[in-house]
Amino acid sequence: MRREPTAGVLAVLLNLPSGLCLLLILAWPVLYAGWLSIHEVSLRQLRTGELPFAGLANYARLFADEIFWLTLRNTVVFVGVSVALEVVIALAVALVIDDDRVGLSRVTRVLLLVPWGVPPVVNGLLWAFIFNTQYGYLNRALLVLGLVHEPVNWLGHPQLAMGAVITAYVWRTTPFNILLYHAGLRGIPRDFYEAAEVDGASGWRKLWHITLPLLRPIIAVSLILRTTFGFMVFDEIFAITQGGPGNATWTASWYTYRAAFQPPFNVGLGAASAWVMALILAAAGIAYARMVGRRLEG
Amino acid sequence: MKLSRTRRALLTLANVAVIAFLLLPLLPVVMGALQSEKALQSDLRSLLPRQPTLANFELILTGGAHRGPIFDQVTYLPKSVERFPAAFMNSVAVATSVALLTLLFASFSAYTVARLRLAWVKALLSLSVASRLVPLIVLMVPLYVLFRRYGLLNSLSGVVIAEIGFLLPYAVLILVPYFAALPAELEDAARIDGCTRFGAFVRIVLPLATPGLAACATIMFILSWHELLIPLIVVSRPEVMTVPVVLAGLVSDYFVFFTLMMAICLLGLLPTLALVLILQKYIVRGLVAGALKG
Repeated sequence: MRREPTAGVLAVLLNLPSGLCLLLILAWPVLYAGWLSIHEVSLRQLRTGELPFAGLANYARLFADEIFWLTLRNTVVFVGVSVALEVVIALAVALVIDDDRVGLSRVTRVLLLVPWGVPPVVNGLLWAFIFNTQYGYLNRALLVLGLVHEPVNWLGHPQLAMGAVITAYVWRTTPFNILLYHAGLRGIPRDFYEAAEVDGASGWRKLWHITLPLLRPIIAVSLILRTTFGFMVFDEIFAITQGGPGNATWTASWYTYRAAFQPPFNVGLGAASAWVMALILAAAGIAYARMVGRRLEG
Repeated sequence: MKLSRTRRALLTLANVAVIAFLLLPLLPVVMGALQSEKALQSDLRSLLPRQPTLANFELILTGGAHRGPIFDQVTYLPKSVERFPAAFMNSVAVATSVALLTLLFASFSAYTVARLRLAWVKALLSLSVASRLVPLIVLMVPLYVLFRRYGLLNSLSGVVIAEIGFLLPYAVLILVPYFAALPAELEDAARIDGCTRFGAFVRIVLPLATPGLAACATIMFILSWHELLIPLIVVSRPEVMTVPVVLAGLVSDYFVFFTLMMAICLLGLLPTLALVLILQKYIVRGLVAGALKG
């Protein structure tokens, strides 16, 4: 036999590239963000390269900022509504496309990923066009159908604007959930349904007592993924409302972006808000890692 | 069991509704892109383009050089128009590099996770799962400061490095289930024949996992093509902008025509939409594997 490295040595060697990447581009920056958050960092300090220690001043400023609390509230609304819609619509669609005997469902399955394939920023711009008051296609359609007599200013009203951003986001992200649920439905043995039919169970009872309980682990995974990704929404906010009208659609990522990368470029404050956001999401992350980890070992 | 006629009709109708949900929002993009701004503004109730024209595309694809009659009188053109062709090439370069490099690094790691039963490698997997949920914006604040210090701002390699760091854990999650599903006997046989473990990985595991590698590379390419926040923060000079950054520039451009904007959008979304439709089978499996099994 030829000499070769032991499994342990090989594992170290093979994990070297990704290990270095994760350490340098992921782990270190996240810790460094914590370090930045307790220092005074804005353009002037970046130019001189000297970052004076600021203690908890950035956090104090953050928690004293009304817009920060409004942002958190907006984020909760955005995440709550969009996750609920994503799950409900995806479940309904997954059930609709599940039956192979309906020929059209094959076509639907091919088209399923279309919204997922649209770049998020394009998605934002296209919905900005749809919702545009004067020239947008939503108002055109509503006028043609006679449902409204005056064009509606969708993006000028706080609640409507939030609804518009959520609509755009949910359209792009729901297909991912549909895929997961569709895969889950395929994993349920047909015998379960046949046994239930022998016992005379109706369609609703089968859904409630067989389908949903068996999909529960997948729904749980999708809830965690969608919640965290919803929290991070950026592109649609950027392209459709820029946080407006007023601050009505400021969400977590937008707050950090505006604090750190728009005038007055307060990177320290941005780092602080980013860290608060990361802490909120860490809880979800740990739960998700545990759930998936258990699956893999099982 | 046979499907009752009403049930079949209802399900078909429901499928029509789903298809409408998936495709209808893209219609305004096509409709807008195929007409002039004047035509769009002339009738606020019309849904179809009055006089269909390809002038928008001609203008964008030539970077503003070919104006034609419609844009003849226009004195101001959005900067995004002249920047688009170069940005398209930048995006191709960035997305290809990101896809290939993440695939390479991730396949090494995924193999160790799937095959070498070591405790610390398993811990690495949990770490990958957790780091997939690190908010990108949390990463961007420190990366901006670090890139600034090490001269990586305004470079395509800076964009590629940041995207690899962000996407690598996800690529590992996608690949692990593919490797784990391959029968170990094939590798064992190769090793009895004198192959090293690494040799077996390169000659047996990788070729057999081609569908997984294709899925992973395609998903990485698409996610890189879609990425806005990273290049938006890393890049500010026009010559290194990627497609999403150029598109984002339309938001703050006050003289944007919707028709022109939709034409740029259409060109920006075509590559990944085509990938999604052509490689759909692989992508679907990869996405499901990455979320549920990895």
